[in-house]
Amino acid sequence: MKKTILYTVLILGSLIFLYPFIWMLSASVSPENEIGNLILLPSKINFNNYFIIFEKIPIAKAFINSLIVSGTITFGVLIFGSMVGYALSRLEFKGKNLIFYVIVFTMTLPFQITLIPQYILIVKFGWIDSYAGLIVPYLMNAFSIIMFRQYFKSIPQDLIDAARIDGCSELRIIYGILWPNSVPALITVGIITFMTSWNEVLWPLIVIRDETKMTMPQLVTLFAVGGRAESQLGLKLAAAAMLALPIVLAYLIFQKYFIQSMTSSGLKE
Amino acid sequence: MISIKKNIFVCLIIFLLTVSCTRNERKLRNEIIYWSSNNTEEIEFARFIVEKWNKENPNMKVKFQPVPEGQSSEEVILAAIVGKTTPDIYSNMWEGDVEGYARAGILVALDTLDGFMEFLYERCDSSVIEEVKSSDGHIYQIPWKINPVMMIYNENIIKSLSIKYAPKTYSEFFDAAKKFQKDTDGDGYIDRWFGYTETIVTWWQRFFDFYPLYLAASNGGSLVENNKAVFNNKAAVKVFKFLRELYEKNYFPKERLSSRQDVFLDGIIATRFTGPWEISHAEKYKPKGFEYNFSTIPVPDDHKGPIYTYGDPKNIVIFKTCPNPNLAWQFLKFFLSEENDLKLLEITNQLPRRKNIDKNSLYQNYFKKNPKMKIFAEQAKFVKGTDQSPVLKEVFDIISSEYEACVIYGVKSPEQALSDAEKSVNLLFLK
Amino acid sequence: MQKNLLIFYFLNEVMKKKILPYLFVSPYLIHFILFIGFPIGFSIYLTFHDWNIIAPMEYVGLANYKRLFYDQLFWKSLKNTVIFLLIHIPLQIIVALFLAELLNQKIKLKSFFRAAYFMPVIVSGVVITILWQQLYGFESGLLNRLLIKIGLNKIGWLTDPDWAMPSIAIMATWKNVGLYVILFLVGLQTVPQQYYEAAELEGANHLQKFFKITLPMINPTIFMVVVLSTIGGFSLFIEPYVMTGGGPLNSTLSAVLYIYKQGFFYYHMGYAATLGFFFALIILFVVFIQKKFVEKEN
Repeated sequence: MKKTILYTVLILGSLIFLYPFIWMLSASVSPENEIGNLILLPSKINFNNYFIIFEKIPIAKAFINSLIVSGTITFGVLIFGSMVGYALSRLEFKGKNLIFYVIVFTMTLPFQITLIPQYILIVKFGWIDSYAGLIVPYLMNAFSIIMFRQYFKSIPQDLIDAARIDGCSELRIIYGILWPNSVPALITVGIITFMTSWNEVLWPLIVIRDETKMTMPQLVTLFAVGGRAESQLGLKLAAAAMLALPIVLAYLIFQKYFIQSMTSSGLKE
Repeated sequence: MISIKKNIFVCLIIFLLTVSCTRNERKLRNEIIYWSSNNTEEIEFARFIVEKWNKENPNMKVKFQPVPEGQSSEEVILAAIVGKTTPDIYSNMWEGDVEGYARAGILVALDTLDGFMEFLYERCDSSVIEEVKSSDGHIYQIPWKINPVMMIYNENIIKSLSIKYAPKTYSEFFDAAKKFQKDTDGDGYIDRWFGYTETIVTWWQRFFDFYPLYLAASNGGSLVENNKAVFNNKAAVKVFKFLRELYEKNYFPKERLSSRQDVFLDGIIATRFTGPWEISHAEKYKPKGFEYNFSTIPVPDDHKGPIYTYGDPKNIVIFKTCPNPNLAWQFLKFFLSEENDLKLLEITNQLPRRKNIDKNSLYQNYFKKNPKMKIFAEQAKFVKGTDQSPVLKEVFDIISSEYEACVIYGVKSPEQALSDAEKSVNLLFLK
Repeated sequence: MQKNLLIFYFLNEVMKKKILPYLFVSPYLIHFILFIGFPIGFSIYLTFHDWNIIAPMEYVGLANYKRLFYDQLFWKSLKNTVIFLLIHIPLQIIVALFLAELLNQKIKLKSFFRAAYFMPVIVSGVVITILWQQLYGFESGLLNRLLIKIGLNKIGWLTDPDWAMPSIAIMATWKNVGLYVILFLVGLQTVPQQYYEAAELEGANHLQKFFKITLPMINPTIFMVVVLSTIGGFSLFIEPYVMTGGGPLNSTLSAVLYIYKQGFFYYHMGYAATLGFFFALIILFVVFIQKKFVEKEN
């Protein structure tokens, strides 16, 4: 008896969290006048809305922009984060602790204070409407440094010493020895970085005005908020569905790692 | 190890260099770059003018393109200014933006160009010239065209209400609205309204409700003058009261009708505040037997004098990045000639901001063929643009906020709303 | 000769060892100077100026601060943000704890439920917002249709100034709760089973076990959730930007949205920097208080 109530509540919960997405998908392929229905079994399925979107806005380009930007950022964060994390965990030098505390402090700093000057910096560099403007400020990430530092600390010193004796350069040590042994950390940092940079909208809204350079969430936001969709619900929902699709697909495939990465990062706080 | 680092470093340098190298070819040319708006007809007009000019002036060629795409053309212009890629001439400049750019020193002071002032006095009357004068006494914009906001009305509906003419005063408007208000399908909800205006709080929406009504009621009064809010006056209170009552009595719907088909052509509303662009739309889509016409914006019952309205003026500017402003000015003189203004009328159906346009013999034929445009031409004498202030957008935003509170939600009295707006606007000028 | 070479080689190694760490840390230092240090310094400098990017900067002393003080709209935006937090955080903790507690029982399909609850977390806030706009629509929104079907009245979720911000808070909770369910699950699993067994022996029922054992033991997790939600909640921007533009009657104007408008819509860079700086101080203060509160508890 207790179990049935338990399962009922849990299933109800899943419905609450999943049904809106299902509704969104079916609404995007239904005729306009049926969209208001609660249980949506469209009378006829047509992908018209999706075609219209491809015509109206450069969404494919935006998808590629997002891929390039998020991919580069993730790659950069992994490289630089491990570099700095390594130095902080395995090397001895003056100022090591100071730098570490500074990094921790910056994590608590609200972005509101750096937003405007960062924008001005980008303007002065001439990076408005460019990939550089979107990528460079995010190549370094306090969270990744702390994660890598934590993880590298737990790798046995002998492994590193052995590599040094073999004549490995320091960089080779990081990428050749530590990385293969830090796969969980890499996945955690990689997934979280990719996801947050993919979903970031405020910064692209500020830095990119040229439609062909916009990221996918930015373009969909402007499409939904601006007049282009002409208040046609089906169109807006189709655009939203397209935006959700890549991440949801990635999620379904890498599900285990997604959740793992969230929990391990939470624990390390 | 060294080589990897060196490679990365070199790549970074190359990257930075390439990004900064695209900007230095401007000074060495003898052609003028002109940006028009993105409007299809205006593009057609621009193409015609530019071709004509280039034929007769092969060594002073004009290169024309529509303003690049972006979220809004104002943003595109701002980006161009920051990136120093502005054109020489831009013809889609909204009058309200000019003051900010002028103060930033990026526009050419046109009154310093040869023959400018004579040309201007011939084209416009003194009130218009006063209107476009900047706070430093110079003139940075040439009045090009206007689209006065008037009231379109459904002639058949007016006739059916047994009124002799479309309402001109607030009382007449309320009378007609009451007679027209109906619940045609008996579901307990009104579904016919006398008029409609968007209830969105976006700042530019006020150009189609509050601002024209205010200009009409105040005989062309200003909103801000000498860095102070001057709109908290009797006229504005009357306008707020008028609009608020329209919503209270459900003569104007609070719900958004804009997602439906054209509610004016469908007869769901009887009037709308709109401009000459409505004519070609109405001609294309009006149902059989549909008759419409234009009248002036409603005014308070005790109104005296001519009835003003908002003209949505678009003006032409020359950016300081232009290597040869006098050359650009030669082109503009041609662009704004009487004959070419006629072409503007014919191709785009937008009024050149030229004095006595309704009496000029050159245009009589056009107005005979387009009698509704004549109404706008007559209104053109009493049209106002905007005040020359760099914070105009914000002023309208603030007024829109108070408009929302008073007119749509009814939580503030008109006096309170306008007083609050005045306080907020004056804060903008705090130094 | 050989001794010199040896000394040279030795010095070289020492040099390498000394400089190397700094080389490695240099990317972060460059990043810090460019994107953290300089912005903070320049931000403070900007607060004393008037600047709209295209005109030269104009020194205005404390005028921006004075304006901030009188700016009704800014204080309203702060109030709105606080209202949002006051609804969102408790709601989130209660729902997340509840679901986590359920999931912590012996049930099948745990990973399916976990994945389902987590789905909204990874999807872009834009998608969530567009979706919920359809749920919240007054005329034809799903929620109102449901209400009418059960015989209740429609609610102006986004058009009633009293409902608008709570609606956004509900939506934000729906979006984020999955993450916190997972975090709480981890926390719940650290509670040693013996405590529960001991309590059962003394005749405690489920509720008593929960309040006397579970809650105190997962205090650190609760604290972490509160801090994370607070910092996240202060950044509220995209939801009101897309859904309501800050209305109705400015009831959903969040602080970040207002700062964005000042800086990137009106181009009052100096004033926006002032607002941002002041707002950042408030956030730091709140987080500081929360930390002190927890340290006291421990």
